[in-house]
Amino acid sequence: MKSRESVVSAHHNYLVNQMLAPGFLIGNPVSKDEFYFLADVVLPGESEPKICSRLYDAHGGFILEMEAREIVQNPSGCLRQPFPGGYRIVTPSGESLLNVQTESFANGFLTRIQGKLYDQGGKLRIEPYYDAIQVHGEVGLWLKEPFRKK
Amino acid sequence: MNIVVCIKQVPDAPSIRMDRERMTIIRDGVESIINPLDRVALEAALDLKQKEGGTVSVLTMGPSQSEEALRESMAAGADQAILLTDPLFAGADTLATSKVIGSAISKMDPFPDLILCGRQTIDSDTGHVGPQLAEELNLPQVCGVTEIHVEMNALVVKQLSDGFQNTYRVSLPALLTVSMGLNVPRHIPLGDLEEAFSTARVIRWGLKDLKLQREEVGFSGSATTVLRLYKPPQKRKGEIVSGSSQTLAENLIDKLVSLSILDEDEAE
Amino acid sequence: MKTKQSRDWEGVWVFGDYRNYFQNRVTLQLIAKGRQLARDLGTEVTVLVLGSQIHQYAMEYTAHGADAIMVVDHPNLKNYQVETYVRVVSQLVQNFRPEILLAGATAFGREFFPRLAKRMNTGLSADCVALEIDGSKRLLIQTTPAFGGDLLADIITPEHRPQMATVHPGVFEERIHDHEARARILYPEVDVQAEERVQLIRSKPDQSRKGGLEDADVVVVGGKGLGSKENFQMLFELARLLGGEVGATRPVILSGWAEENRLLGQTGKSVKPKLLITAGTSGAVQYTTGIQGAETIIAINRDPHAPILKMADLGLVGDAKTVLSLLLEKLRKRL
Repeated sequence: MKSRESVVSAHHNYLVNQMLAPGFLIGNPVSKDEFYFLADVVLPGESEPKICSRLYDAHGGFILEMEAREIVQNPSGCLRQPFPGGYRIVTPSGESLLNVQTESFANGFLTRIQGKLYDQGGKLRIEPYYDAIQVHGEVGLWLKEPFRKK
Repeated sequence: MNIVVCIKQVPDAPSIRMDRERMTIIRDGVESIINPLDRVALEAALDLKQKEGGTVSVLTMGPSQSEEALRESMAAGADQAILLTDPLFAGADTLATSKVIGSAISKMDPFPDLILCGRQTIDSDTGHVGPQLAEELNLPQVCGVTEIHVEMNALVVKQLSDGFQNTYRVSLPALLTVSMGLNVPRHIPLGDLEEAFSTARVIRWGLKDLKLQREEVGFSGSATTVLRLYKPPQKRKGEIVSGSSQTLAENLIDKLVSLSILDEDEAE
Repeated sequence: MKTKQSRDWEGVWVFGDYRNYFQNRVTLQLIAKGRQLARDLGTEVTVLVLGSQIHQYAMEYTAHGADAIMVVDHPNLKNYQVETYVRVVSQLVQNFRPEILLAGATAFGREFFPRLAKRMNTGLSADCVALEIDGSKRLLIQTTPAFGGDLLADIITPEHRPQMATVHPGVFEERIHDHEARARILYPEVDVQAEERVQLIRSKPDQSRKGGLEDADVVVVGGKGLGSKENFQMLFELARLLGGEVGATRPVILSGWAEENRLLGQTGKSVKPKLLITAGTSGAVQYTTGIQGAETIIAINRDPHAPILKMADLGLVGDAKTVLSLLLEKLRKRL
């Protein structure tokens, strides 16, 4: 019987590849011109997801780089629009690139990410799947501890 | 509609006494009755027969004495009674019991449209035989039914379960177990009882009639074993007070005060 | 199934019944006990979660002590349905081979587990009040009330696996919620085919659920020893005066003196009030299982040898009806 396996946290999880995970990392965060997507571990006491990423379009063109609550490099002038429970990143023409929404339970949180994300080669790495995302290519590195200790 | 009702003869619970020295049940003078919820099941069957036509058969697995329960059911209006009895059936857990009863029902021609059982018995109280019988016969089940309505080839039933009232449509053939509240069993006139005990015929089937193997029935066919029986340990060593009802009532009031449920100062 | 290789079966599984989650704590109680049993066996406790969009419960069970969570998330599992669930769980059990499988003795559990046990040709004990491991043989000792109530039976399932049991709510204590807890989570690929022969038409909360017996601070219970339905009615006034609720024993329900949702005991409700007054009840284990969690128990019975008197904190030997009438007189004057 085939079976997929992950780790689940009592406090906060992301929904990715139809599984719960405390955190995950795809791609290469260290290099300055490569795609990466980091959904970092959220510890008890915190309630907001920590998403850092370098986004590219379907042709491999660089779009933006974001770190947690802000966009740090933004050549095309995208906007970060918060709404109750989350935020979305939209292009100047209003197209939604990324949607991050956190559901609150009595004792914990679940963050659903939606978006169609390409890497620097124009290859599709993340795409929407029902109410969350499916990751393509290499198996994402499941995180058990926070990657970036801020 | 052809209905089979599974019943069990059980000791009338309040009259069980224990010989505490020898850890045995004192069976002298203990009345045997049809398990109360099985009476409710039988009543439901007779009700359906009245409305839809058909036959009601009652069936039980037990020692010879269980025949009394079957005759009583015939007196209430059942058309056919079958006793499943064999020394090898003894010591069965519900796995083995459902095997025996299921085999008997499979032997019936025509196969029933509906099987009714009481949800649980007052002696062993597991409530397992109904669902396990449904599984043995590969039938859909609903347990703890409080209402039954007939539709074309199906029944619409209501069930109270864990704080919800559920309504289901169940296709036939099916097995239902019934709860209190479904009906109030009819009183059986003495004359009908006398007739059932003198003239009614009870069919008897044993291991060979059911074409089962020894390993499938009774103690051998069971998966669970009782390791030991014992008295429950007493955790509270409370005080026991005797006296006149006045004294006892006063004692109670004092206790309520000490627990702060009543205030001390209220004068009588 | 019957097996000579019981060594191949490993692990303690608990079925996650998450309906009415915050009120219904039995799964959490079983996770705590299951964890202890697993440690005694040198293994882990896994909680099965079947349903649709059940992420919250996977996280809650993690917080309450699960070592692993096994999830089957599918729209066909949204409503609890016996055969659909039996189909899924039996596939999981056949594949993963847990040695022990536990569920709370909720109405669903008591309908689902027997069918599942039969599907897998294994033994099941109902409504256990204790569970322990016999380490030398890796056997689960399942303790249930027996013989209509006066005794306890220790039951084992020597040659079949898994060893299955449903457990009475309120017997074990849950572990407190731990926000830092983590668990492994598995998503097995199973065939989830809905049972078509039983269709749920509608489901609504049971309105007749009288006043929350389970939440009352004071519970007053009557047994057949009260003598009549009229005498039983006294309990309603007593409950009102003391700010409590009325409970009943099985013989009382069968006699039509009270409705079934007042039933306390093995097949009824379990209560843990501050005070429980039990009048005219003899003390069958099937009943006392439902009240043993009360802080203080006062019992009234005219038989000095009635078991209830020994299990109470205060036992009054007298005629229940008379003592209660006098008590009511005195209370009416005071309050």
